[in-house]
Amino acid sequence: MDLTFTPDEQAFREKIHAWVAQNLPKDISDKVRNSIRLTRDDMQRWAKILGKNGWLGWGWPKEFGGPGWNAIQKHLFEEETALAGAPRVVPFGPVMVAPVIMAFGSPEQQKRFLPGIASGEVWWSQGYSEPGSGSDLASLKTRAERRGERYIVNGQKTWTTLGQFGDWIFCLVRTSNEGKPQTGISFLLIDMKSPGVTVRPIITMDGEHEVNEVWFDNVEVPADQLIGEENKGWTYAKYLLAHERTNIADVNRAKRELERLKRIARAEGVYDDARFRDEIAKLEVDVVALEMMVLRVLSAEKSGKQSLDVAGLLKIRGSEIQQRYSELMMLAAGPAAVPLRREAMAAGWQGDQLGGAFVAPLAGTYFNMRKTTIYGGSNEVQRNIVAQTVLGS
Amino acid sequence: MDFDFSDDQEMLRDSVRKWVEKSYDFERRRAVVKSGGFSREAWQGLADLGLLGLQVPEAQGGMGFGAVDAMVVMEELGRGLVLEPYAAVSLVATHLLQAGHAPSAALWLEGIARGGPGVVLAQEERHSRYRLDHVQTRAQHNGSNWRLSGTKIGVPDGGQAGAFIVSARTSGADDDAGGVALFLVSKGEPGVELKPYPTQDGAKAADLVLSEASGIELLAAGDAMPALEHAVDIGIAALCAEAVGAMDRLVALTVEYMNTRKQFGVPIASFQALRHRIADVKMQLELARSMSYFAALKLGEPAPARRRALSQAKVQLGQSMRFVGQQCIQLHGGIGVTDEYAASHYFKRLTVIEMSFGDTMFHLGEVSARMQDTAGVFA
Repeated sequence: MDLTFTPDEQAFREKIHAWVAQNLPKDISDKVRNSIRLTRDDMQRWAKILGKNGWLGWGWPKEFGGPGWNAIQKHLFEEETALAGAPRVVPFGPVMVAPVIMAFGSPEQQKRFLPGIASGEVWWSQGYSEPGSGSDLASLKTRAERRGERYIVNGQKTWTTLGQFGDWIFCLVRTSNEGKPQTGISFLLIDMKSPGVTVRPIITMDGEHEVNEVWFDNVEVPADQLIGEENKGWTYAKYLLAHERTNIADVNRAKRELERLKRIARAEGVYDDARFRDEIAKLEVDVVALEMMVLRVLSAEKSGKQSLDVAGLLKIRGSEIQQRYSELMMLAAGPAAVPLRREAMAAGWQGDQLGGAFVAPLAGTYFNMRKTTIYGGSNEVQRNIVAQTVLGS
Repeated sequence: MDFDFSDDQEMLRDSVRKWVEKSYDFERRRAVVKSGGFSREAWQGLADLGLLGLQVPEAQGGMGFGAVDAMVVMEELGRGLVLEPYAAVSLVATHLLQAGHAPSAALWLEGIARGGPGVVLAQEERHSRYRLDHVQTRAQHNGSNWRLSGTKIGVPDGGQAGAFIVSARTSGADDDAGGVALFLVSKGEPGVELKPYPTQDGAKAADLVLSEASGIELLAAGDAMPALEHAVDIGIAALCAEAVGAMDRLVALTVEYMNTRKQFGVPIASFQALRHRIADVKMQLELARSMSYFAALKLGEPAPARRRALSQAKVQLGQSMRFVGQQCIQLHGGIGVTDEYAASHYFKRLTVIEMSFGDTMFHLGEVSARMQDTAGVFA
């Protein structure tokens, strides 16, 4: 047992650190550090900077043009970018659909789709949830009917994060009503510029436009955009979920935000209040414990000696911590967090705000973070999964 | 970054586990509790395994093993709810004897490695409330010797101790850290009185009443406090590991019970309210295990980082122990509150561990006071 990184890993970290310091635009990291709204351009600018260096697909193996890093190296990359204030890479392309295309796509599909994902040119969205299919995802109804060399897609997806910017969307669609619901689902890639695709905004309680409904009205999809075999989509989707491991805990961002919480608490004069400070201290213990759990998973992945089935725990704990730090930041600002100043969410706002501009987004972020225990498999669904593992039935 | 155990550590774990299964099953443990909370036979068993000298240097006849080895041993002793104060002698006092300057310290270390009379730390007082610097016991110089007067509580002596390491004040007010020194006080000397009692977890402890008792200076004021803090941190790490072993076993018992106990015609493991509860229990167990590793791996850090880390670990363990203990009793229903069934005994030991070497609130205060701008495992 050893809690240190090897000299090689340390050198790797320093290399990433120096590169990020050189290449992360300051206007973007300033926004991230202060929860200022990021534009499509901000997000894509950073994606393309990474892409140019071959790092947008930082988890990719070498054969598909990725850096071929191991679990520890990936973690160090995620940590260094997060601590430097880089935006979270929009995961739908490089983290979610790309591994599925690599594992189950044809060589032609790999050649066609992976370069656009790796460079950051093509913006991908996710089409999983439907109005009637949340936790019970397998009940989804969006229908794809095979007609010759095409599928005709009809239905509605929802909660499509940043779908308003999407070029392509990967969807789970129903291709059969035979047997169990899971066995009639296929994995389809759809060009969002196709006739019949409509994206409608959903405004969340923070007043922001982050998620969308995506409607499909007789959308024609060429059959060569089906991944793998028809009716095997559920298997591919599960593979994707398994692929998303430690990153789901987002512990690196939690460390950065904990530092920010301390800055805000200090500025607001509550850092030396014993009751408030103890709440920060509790959160700090939570973050250290989560980081240790993440490191245990990484070590297990690296050595392959012991298997650690704690992905559900990481999701539950990581999301609870995100909610808690956003809550404490808002509470630190107290009454100064109450005025609603939507314009203060834009960069460079110089208006007059009680307590300074940095407090303006705090309540909105707190509201926004309620999503974290709902998305990605609600925490209650995660508890079902954990219980199944623990109880063996 | 590596959380695998070495082959040697796996073998060590295996040998302790086998000893517990063979010589310390629940019925035998019950007999030990009944006879006062300490078994000479069990103590000899630990000696025969070579465990008593685990961290005694090889030069003194021990094994010279490290923090992770100690963690492995403590997890297994926790799993078996072993009552004998192993950590007190073989980890905490052993550290202080090595740090100390008294010529007799080496002899005590050799004795411990041989399985002879041990040494335990006696630092707690009625009013110290986990603070190491709050010491009312006084030591006065008397020629080449010292005379100690005062009362120490909760001394982990089941009868195996031949001497005590006593924190006593050579100068200053009751909470002046600079005036605290450490002394070796032998059992049976004039002015050394032991008042033994059973503890809530079935073990045995004693109050140590010193009246002008003779003491040998182990560490002088100034050197004593850093060594004492380090020793207590070693004790905290040991408790964390013991708690993980105990919780592991308690959760396993609970899972077994949930899968066999039927109500409304089905195993209670089928009820979602209980399934979510056991998921939350598993969460607390894994957070605790993670922080127990953290505690052991941070013991070698410089004092400020070490102290912060060990307090963080004790906070996590305190929260986990209380949640896991309470919920596992709850999940068992009526049988959980009986003396007959093992679960309640795990719960009681976990409760006592929380109140040893600083409870959750105490260590939260420490974490809060030692907080820095940056956070995380490597901060």
